[in-house]
Amino acid sequence: MIDDNKQEATPDISAFLASAIHDMKNSISILIKFLSSSITELEPEAQRHAAPMLYEAQRVNDNLIQMLAIYKVGNQFYPFDLTENSVDEFVQGIVEQNKNLLEYLGVELETDFDEGLTWYFDRELVSGVISHALSNASRYTKGKLKLSAKEEEGELVIRVEDNGSGFPASVIEAGDAVRKGVNFSSGGTGLGLYFSSMVAKLHKNRGKTGAMFLENGGTYGGGCFILHLP
Amino acid sequence: MYAASDANALFAGKYFLIIDDFQGMRSMMREMLKTFGVKNIDTVTNGNEAIACLEKNKYDVVLCDFNLGVGKNGQQILEEAKHRDLIGLSTAWIIVTAEKTADMVFGAAEHMPDDYILKPVNEATMSSRLEKVINKKALLVDIEKALRAKKYALAVALCDEVLASSSSNTTELQRIKTSTLMTMGQYDQAKQMFEQILSKRDIPWAKTGLGKVAFYKNDIERARQLFREVINQNPAYLEAHDWLAKCHELSGELEEAQRVLVRSTELSPHSVLRQKSLGELAHKRGDTDTAEKAFRKTIKLGEFSVHKSPVAYLGLAKICSTRNNPAEALQILKNVHKEFENPETALHAKVIEGMVYRESGDHQSAAKISKEVAELVRADDNVSNAKVMLEAAQLLLATGNKEAAENLAKNVVKNNHENDQLLAQVNELYSQAGFQDKGQELVNKSRQEVIETNNRGVILAKEGKLDEAIKLLSDAHTLLPNNKRIQINLANMAVLSMRQNGRSDHLMQLARECLECVAKLDQQEEWCAKMHAALDAIPE
Repeated sequence: MIDDNKQEATPDISAFLASAIHDMKNSISILIKFLSSSITELEPEAQRHAAPMLYEAQRVNDNLIQMLAIYKVGNQFYPFDLTENSVDEFVQGIVEQNKNLLEYLGVELETDFDEGLTWYFDRELVSGVISHALSNASRYTKGKLKLSAKEEEGELVIRVEDNGSGFPASVIEAGDAVRKGVNFSSGGTGLGLYFSSMVAKLHKNRGKTGAMFLENGGTYGGGCFILHLP
Repeated sequence: MYAASDANALFAGKYFLIIDDFQGMRSMMREMLKTFGVKNIDTVTNGNEAIACLEKNKYDVVLCDFNLGVGKNGQQILEEAKHRDLIGLSTAWIIVTAEKTADMVFGAAEHMPDDYILKPVNEATMSSRLEKVINKKALLVDIEKALRAKKYALAVALCDEVLASSSSNTTELQRIKTSTLMTMGQYDQAKQMFEQILSKRDIPWAKTGLGKVAFYKNDIERARQLFREVINQNPAYLEAHDWLAKCHELSGELEEAQRVLVRSTELSPHSVLRQKSLGELAHKRGDTDTAEKAFRKTIKLGEFSVHKSPVAYLGLAKICSTRNNPAEALQILKNVHKEFENPETALHAKVIEGMVYRESGDHQSAAKISKEVAELVRADDNVSNAKVMLEAAQLLLATGNKEAAENLAKNVVKNNHENDQLLAQVNELYSQAGFQDKGQELVNKSRQEVIETNNRGVILAKEGKLDEAIKLLSDAHTLLPNNKRIQINLANMAVLSMRQNGRSDHLMQLARECLECVAKLDQQEEWCAKMHAALDAIPE
């Protein structure tokens, strides 16, 4: 009797969460669109002040997309869509998406990729990972970012590098732990790291699995986010 | 800017169709396209309007919202347009959606859109995707023409040409080439190509293709293993689920097949075809609860779909009848006559109506329907579906209409004289009605008649009397339009005659008709590939 009541009282919240996230994502998308077009009209000085609003809205949006994807992959519902993509177009697309925010923040973005290279990956997911890494780096950089995508030893290696003071040791540790599948929970960075690592691991090819790394150093001596896709 | 005017030139002469139920979205897209330099834009608000436009005009690009409120959704419009040949390979279909789902991405493998654009739509993304897709499609114009003319060998050659000359759009060309090879029955060539693709990278569609080759070559064990591998790596890849279920069903593992289908209907809750398959399979297993649910869903989902099918209605009517609910069964059968105009479906519905009356104990009505069925069968003894004919024969026997039953059974046997499974079913039918000897005699005699005709034709051909042989088998073919052996021999003779006396439009058409019919009757028939090649090799 009591058990029955208990079951009544605790419905499966995950399905509600998924649809609520979906709904919130739509609202945030509209908010971002509105913010972007409003900020464009401002003077450059005012743009710099307003930019954090856009940045925070973008962060909420990223988090929602990540949660929805994690939920769906967990339930084996995610339509993992491995297609051939032009690396050139992929990089341009990311730049296009983040151009406004970076401009308002006064951050300079350099790109470097193998021309004519195509690679198999899920465009939506990888673009989610890289956009997130880029917006994260834009917060800690001292004005310079570099996005590169190159073939290295049979894998596509995408790097997001900044000239900030690098990741703190705890974040690098968390990155290692998530990659090894040991434990994930380290406050604010947990979700993004887990998502990036999950996306990397979904990409498999002929016995090889994708991976995500966090390092310090790289081109500008700052933080360096690296995604390997086989 | 040079780049912009370049793109403008690309867009200027193209025809666009926008399908969206929101006025705001339609005008936003129209304005966006105008800034890209597009001049010809039609906009519609729903599926029916879209289909009407597609019937009248040829479009280069269709931008279609997925969720269109009541009526067809974006995927269903695409399916109908492809199914009815309103659009070909060179029309770009782009689905605009808030979210990608497994249903959308892997829902209908043969009816995939060319791209998805996620809302909110951004100008830069839209213009670069459109540019890419238009350039891609320009390469496919000649291939589409060849495929429409059923010149498969030419289509394959064109694919090779484009693959060799351009590095963009490799995947789509590989898919067109392999699927054409499969249509031609050139399984070894298709296999070689899939293996070549897979040697570089694990790609779900290529591995699924390899599985299909194994399936058609009757290596079900290998096929099953390949489909499983695809699903393990890619749990939401629906086409592999569909094929895995087929493998299980073919091996008699019905419970396992149903488990796979249940999973795939969870992944694609809007798929009419998967609900239908689930209903049929569960019905076959005697799991009427699942079957009933699946059939009801099939009917609901299929309301606006080109895949709307009588199977679900008829199956549900049978289930209602066994559940002592003849009233609903009869109501559903009435709807079948309203919803479907096909004479075969009408006959099948009538047969089931008779059974419903019988099961409910209304023997008078059953006898009346049985008479009507006998009339229908006599008027048109070319009903191609052996299953329907057997059910009709069963009703006729059960209601004492022996002569009509016998004619029908003979017809089934003669049209399928090499299909042991069906012959056994005819025997079984007669045994159940208590006429075992009669059944055996009927099967043997009818079978013998066809074999003799066939042999006479072959002997005539061997004696060099090809015209006479073709005449003999053509006549037999008219009487028995679904007999595979007769069609194979007839097409072979037509080819032989053309090799000796040159191409003839009449024989070409005859051979092609036989080929298409055999391919429809038996997808695993290896002869089809040889016939395709033989017909392609006859000089113009």
